[in-house]
Amino acid sequence: MAPVVQCMGLTKTYGRKIALNQVNLNLERGRIIGLLGPNGSGKTTLIKIMNGLLKPTAGEVLINGQRPGIDTKMRISYLPERTYLQPGMKVLELVQYFQDFYPDFRVDRAFDMLARLQIPPQERLKNLSKGTKEKVQLIMVMSRDADLYILDEPIAGVDPAARDYILHTIVSNYNRCGSILLSTHLISDVENILDEVVFIKYGSIVLQAGAEQIRQNERKSVDQFFREVFAC
Amino acid sequence: MLGKLMKYEWKATWKLLLSANLLTVVMTGLARWMVYLMDEAPYSRDFQMVDFVAVMVLFTYVASMFAVYVGTAIYLIHRFYTSTYGDQGYLLHTLPVDTHHIIIAKVLVSVMWVMINVLIIYFSVIFLFASSTEMIKSMMEGFINIIEYLGEEKISAFIVIMTMIAYVFTLFAKVLKVGACISLGQLSSNHKLLLSFAWYVGIYIVESMFQGVYFAIRSAIHRQVSPMDYLSSFGTNWETTLISGIFSCVIFYILTWYVMDRKLNLD
Repeated sequence: MAPVVQCMGLTKTYGRKIALNQVNLNLERGRIIGLLGPNGSGKTTLIKIMNGLLKPTAGEVLINGQRPGIDTKMRISYLPERTYLQPGMKVLELVQYFQDFYPDFRVDRAFDMLARLQIPPQERLKNLSKGTKEKVQLIMVMSRDADLYILDEPIAGVDPAARDYILHTIVSNYNRCGSILLSTHLISDVENILDEVVFIKYGSIVLQAGAEQIRQNERKSVDQFFREVFAC
Repeated sequence: MLGKLMKYEWKATWKLLLSANLLTVVMTGLARWMVYLMDEAPYSRDFQMVDFVAVMVLFTYVASMFAVYVGTAIYLIHRFYTSTYGDQGYLLHTLPVDTHHIIIAKVLVSVMWVMINVLIIYFSVIFLFASSTEMIKSMMEGFINIIEYLGEEKISAFIVIMTMIAYVFTLFAKVLKVGACISLGQLSSNHKLLLSFAWYVGIYIVESMFQGVYFAIRSAIHRQVSPMDYLSSFGTNWETTLISGIFSCVIFYILTWYVMDRKLNLD
């Protein structure tokens, strides 16, 4: 079976600034993959290109063997690093919205997660705290049976307790046949759930390896190894 | 998916815009009451007071209609920008829907709101003036004059309908022009809104130039008619309005689609 993501010579420039430089990358199915790199390394640019929100300057990306389009959007569940919700909407309306547009959306799973977090479906999103909004957004994304979950900085800016909840939600709800691409620079928090890591630096992939492989070969945690690779 | 997109576009806009239009209705009722009081006031002891209050209410009525009309336009432009190229665009552009459907849904709902707004203002003015018997009489006379004029000039129902269709296309073209300018502004990494405004001004200048050339050519062909005559009769020339409306719709639609589908730049 073809990899869920294939990047071939993917390049993105903004004027003279190179955000992605000849990225070649294959991501296999059924794995939780950490896209790790410091701020400004090109993680979000790569993710946006996979989602069709940015067009590459050169090269191409294939999701399930297809260029980003309606078919790939049907199979990707994307959590951006910002809140994309309409403030005037109720949580219940948001659930209906996702149900209307994504055939793989599981309403029961969404309500179950909302109930566990005691988020009232009748509450308007504008009345929720920033952290709760992020959790609602994560619940919507993880209530889908997607082939690829792309989560951009899902634990940035939240307290440690919320981080645990978010990681638990991710691990317990994703489609086991699919993959998770999780972008973060908070390695120590996510290290334990990762099967594979991709290090990205100055828009180039500097390493792609199994998390266990790094721990065995380097005799240090992924977090420690990351600090060495990206030492200033 | 088009129906679903339209449903959510409508749901996102109806509360504010319906409230704004209800304000116009309420102000119309108040203004009409004031016109009634002014009719009665000469027989009242409080003539000056009634007159003052009535003028103030009528002034507020005109100001509120203007504010609702301009506010509707600004709100729809803001809504287009934030939901398409702002943070909400991250959800919209990751929905498994065709870009054509996104544009059509937004344009149709915007045009519907503008039409509702224009119709409410139109009927509001008729309702206000119809409160006076004299005004009803003069309006009826005016209406009869128009019918007679149409008969004398042999203007058929077909031309009247085509003129209305031409204006609908012009309205679509105006909405699509705003969408196209906002979209073109997104091609830059910086100062996107400023660039959108610059595109609008640029397109306006080009449109004016085309109009000028068109009138010059027409006046050259029909030597007895000056360009100014065409300018004054432009609105009644339904063929030109229809063709330019359709042409503008096509151009602005293609520009919007091209940027949204081929050059999306949510950075």
